[in-house]
Amino acid sequence: MVIGEGAEAQIYLENILGLEMVVKVRQRKEYRIPEIDEPMRRRRTRKEAGLMIVASKAGINVPHVIAVGKFSIYMEKIGGKLLKDIQNSKTYMEKVGKELARMHDSGIVHGDYTPANIMISGNETTIIDFGLADMSLDPEQKAVDLLLMKRSVTRGMYAHFEHAYVNASRNGTAVKKQLAETERRGRYQSRTLS
Amino acid sequence: MRVIGIESSAHTFGVGIVDDGKILAKEKEMFHIGTTGMIPAEVAEFHTDNAAEVINRALKSANLNYSDIEGIGYTRGPGLGPCLQVGYLSAKTLAKKLKVPIAPVNHGVAHIESTRLISGMKDPIALYVSGGNSQILKMDNKPFKHYRVLGETFDIGVGNMLDSFARELKLTPSWGSSIEKKASGGKYVEMPYSVKGMDFSFTGLLTKAVSMIPDVPAKDLCFSIQEAAFSMLAETTERALLLTNSDEICVCGGVAQNSRLKQILNLVAKEHGARFGFIEGALNADNGAMIAMVAERMLLAGHSTSIDKCDIEQRFRVDSAEVF
Ligand SMILES: Nc1ncnc2c1ncn2[C@@H]1O[C@H](COP(=O)(O)OP(=O)(O)O)[C@@H](O)[C@H]1O
Ligand SMILES: [Mg+2]
Repeated sequence: MVIGEGAEAQIYLENILGLEMVVKVRQRKEYRIPEIDEPMRRRRTRKEAGLMIVASKAGINVPHVIAVGKFSIYMEKIGGKLLKDIQNSKTYMEKVGKELARMHDSGIVHGDYTPANIMISGNETTIIDFGLADMSLDPEQKAVDLLLMKRSVTRGMYAHFEHAYVNASRNGTAVKKQLAETERRGRYQSRTLS
Repeated sequence: MRVIGIESSAHTFGVGIVDDGKILAKEKEMFHIGTTGMIPAEVAEFHTDNAAEVINRALKSANLNYSDIEGIGYTRGPGLGPCLQVGYLSAKTLAKKLKVPIAPVNHGVAHIESTRLISGMKDPIALYVSGGNSQILKMDNKPFKHYRVLGETFDIGVGNMLDSFARELKLTPSWGSSIEKKASGGKYVEMPYSVKGMDFSFTGLLTKAVSMIPDVPAKDLCFSIQEAAFSMLAETTERALLLTNSDEICVCGGVAQNSRLKQILNLVAKEHGARFGFIEGALNADNGAMIAMVAERMLLAGHSTSIDKCDIEQRFRVDSAEVF
């Protein structure tokens, strides 16, 4: 049974040997040529599973990985809803900010840290979709995680998130500075000419 | 309302006339970029020499006289200062002479809005791809109606990337159209792929492709650089579509003339049951009609700017421009 459809994968609910689990399968994309599509899906599947395991070991709340196939990851099913589908709140944003700080401090950047990739169950948050994640301590890559959140929620909600992140993170201030720099470079870029 | 629009942010001096959203005229003169690029002052001089003639040509092609014009729009930015200056001064002079209201227009907004309006879309995810720009945007009503940047390039625009590569291959740069021609029948060689969420970057791709020029046939490189770059744009556009629960995608800007890009985006839209919108080739290039279209909407909304408050803004951000 299909339970979710993300940007690049379909999520199935499967009952294997009496165990209910979620299978994330990266589907073929018609819009990319197979030469780009196949290696990319294989690479991302392997990497995502690996980083989920690393994150879990670092104490980040992520679904437990059960098995990994060529284009699929079998993982624990998380209850609750996506943050993007529920009424946002200061409490959630602070929690999610702290969680990102812990993730960054353990050397992982998420790469797609938005309300579409955070699940909420009660007051428990679980981070999913490590498809664009990476091992990195680069402030620039960390800043991208903040930037993505900034673009996905209201200003007020983002302020709670950033505040919690900066307080909890080992290099919060440096990342915040880098964020300003990244934004300046991207957005204020004038039209250059050929 | 019969509105004349003047565009001069870069190498095109364009004049368009619209009435009730319909394009009555679009005329232009383009400064031809050689293989060395261009000097802003030289382009500005070119624009100055052509301004009056292009304006007259537009009036003539619309079958109108100066006295029929009821409003004026010009590109306030972003763009090259000396070039913007020419359009701005022409607009100001016309407004004074004709005693009609004037509206300063954001260049990016004009690309997106003209595409949105002509293709009949309501609230699309807009992929704006030109020489210096590569952005994914969507309308946002807070704190005022504007296009919000959801994703963009970390470094260079996709058009400049394709043009730089064309120059390395000694092809004529033209927002990738020479690369597109050359790419036909090519086969894929592995290229870097750089996407972070809804942002992307192109310099890694360019550097790698350039480094392979001596060893790999040009058509394979053109095919590969194009497929890699457009796959990146398609994937980030797809992500924006899903994140915002939108059901429309449109593409605009110079690179929107590339038919492979349109084909790819159409597949993205199809996969998610979304509508795909684009406009006729030449309207994607810089032109005055898109400026006139946006200006007409601004003026009809009562949003004119008094002549002495008009100015240019080289770094006029698309997301700081109010949309009407
Ligand atoms: N472990 C899980 N438990 C429950 N639901 C999940 C789980 N993983 C993913 N989902 C659901 O599937 C959707 C897509 O998953 P995601 O990993 O974000 O894929 P994509 O990379 O395609 O965005 C999520 O938004 C969520 O609704
Ligand atoms: Mg996801």
